[in-house]
Order: sequence, then C-alpha cells, then structure tokens
Amino acid sequence: MSPGSDRIQMYLRSLERALRRRGLADPDDLAEMEDHLYEAVAAGLRGGLSQAEAVEQALRRFGPAGRVAAAFDKERSSAMQKIYLVLAVASGLFIAYLDARPGWDATGILAGGLLLSAGLLTLLGARRPWLVALAVGIWLPLHDLYTTHDISMLLVLLFPLAGAYLGWAVRWGLRRVIHLA
Amino acid sequence: MIGEALKGHLDLLLLSILQGGPAHGYAILCTLRERSGGTFDLPEGTVYPALHRLEHQGLLASEWREDLPHRRRMYRLTPAGQAELARRQEEWRRFSRAVESTVGL
Repeated sequence: MSPGSDRIQMYLRSLERALRRRGLADPDDLAEMEDHLYEAVAAGLRGGLSQAEAVEQALRRFGPAGRVAAAFDKERSSAMQKIYLVLAVASGLFIAYLDARPGWDATGILAGGLLLSAGLLTLLGARRPWLVALAVGIWLPLHDLYTTHDISMLLVLLFPLAGAYLGWAVRWGLRRVIHLA
Repeated sequence: MIGEALKGHLDLLLLSILQGGPAHGYAILCTLRERSGGTFDLPEGTVYPALHRLEHQGLLASEWREDLPHRRRMYRLTPAGQAELARRQEEWRRFSRAVESTVGL
C-alpha cells in the first residue's frame, strides 16, 4: 500500500457506510470507485503533486461521501422499489387478515410468514430493510393494539425485522462472493 | 450555477464522450473536464450513478476487463445509446440555435 492509501481507504469505508444506510452498497460499485480514486492519485503524482496533495485533490474532486451516496440514492429510486414496498404492505395486510379471522390460532405460522415475507423481499433486492420490516409487520400489531390495547404486541415487529436484515445480509454476502469470484 | 445547469445535460455529455469508444469511469471524467476546459467540474463520484442508470436503461453496456493492469469496468455505447445520442444531439442543436437567435449572439 502506498502512503495516502489510508485516507483513500478511510474515505471508501465512509462511502460504503453511507451507501449501506441507503441499502445501496455494492462491492462492484465500490471497487470501481476505489479504482477511480487510485487512478486519480497516480495522475496527480504524474502531474508533479506530492503524495498528500494528490490524495487531497483526488478526494476533493470525487466529492464528499454523503453527496456521492445521495446521488446514488436519487438515481436508483426505481419503480421496482415501489413495487417491493407495495408487495410488503400487501403481504403484511394478508397476514393481519389471517390473524383476525375467528378460530385462527397459529401464531408460529404468522411469525414465520412475517419473517419469510420480509426476508424474501430484501433478498430479491428491496432496499432499506427497516422500511420493508415496518411495511410487512406493522399491520398485525396495529390490529391487535386496536382490539386489545396491548402495547407489547409491537414486539411482533421483531420477526419481520429479523427476516428483512437476514435477507439483506444474505444478498450482500452473495454479491460479495460473486464479486470476489 | 454551471453544476446545476450541467445536471440536465449530463446524459448527453456522457453518451457523447463514449461515442469515441469504450472508456472507464476515470477516463470519461478526464475527457469531460478536458473538453469543457475545466468548466464542467462536478463531484466526480456523482457521475457513477448516472453511468449506472444509463446502463440500466440499455443505453450503455459495461464489462469488467481482467486483462488490464488491474480489474476495471469499461463502458461502451449500445445501439440504443447511439440512437438516443443522435436524438439528443439534434434536440440540443435546435435548442442552442433557438437560444442564440433569441439572445442575439
């Protein structure tokens, strides 16, 4: 590693965190931007700058991590993400409907349904696991809160939360394996 | 001001640069800066999402080249991108002619 690469790596970690918060971190994208930054530093050195100046110029021209992540966020607000959200709400409402039916008493199946629905959606590509978990899981406790006024029902949200983050982690892991292969 | 104005025409600029042949992100940014004499100096990192969107729209294609000194993503224009570029160039010609004759340049 050359001097100055610490700053580049620190910047890339901060960019990865900013992208991950938006559900957008992709190993290929990060590798591409890493390549860009090192190329820019090399060009700065060829142009007569010191290592520190070349790193400083490369990072300044690339832009603050938050701004770059925001640009990714803006460009990828696709129709598919809206469809994922609609599917999350629909599956959550369906599970709440099953729970509300008289005679239904299969809590394990409902919990599994919440976990699987949220997990499947983030595995397929839905971003923001917390939002998916909320869209899937809020309807069942809302209904129960209305009928029983038992606030502990909100703990049900833990199932879609676990599922959404699990699906998201599996997707991230798969992408990393594919990138490294 | 120029940064804001540039955003509306970024796609045209990126497609035009790739008309010259395949290039990686850094080379595209260098060409953008050189051809504009440094006028188009937007944060370079914000161009990548635009390149990815153009690829998603089928106007660009990319491939990871392993035969270069280090692994690198190269972008090229697709036939759909060529057609879109021709359309946007014509649109820009009409627009710039109209502006010039209006402001009296």
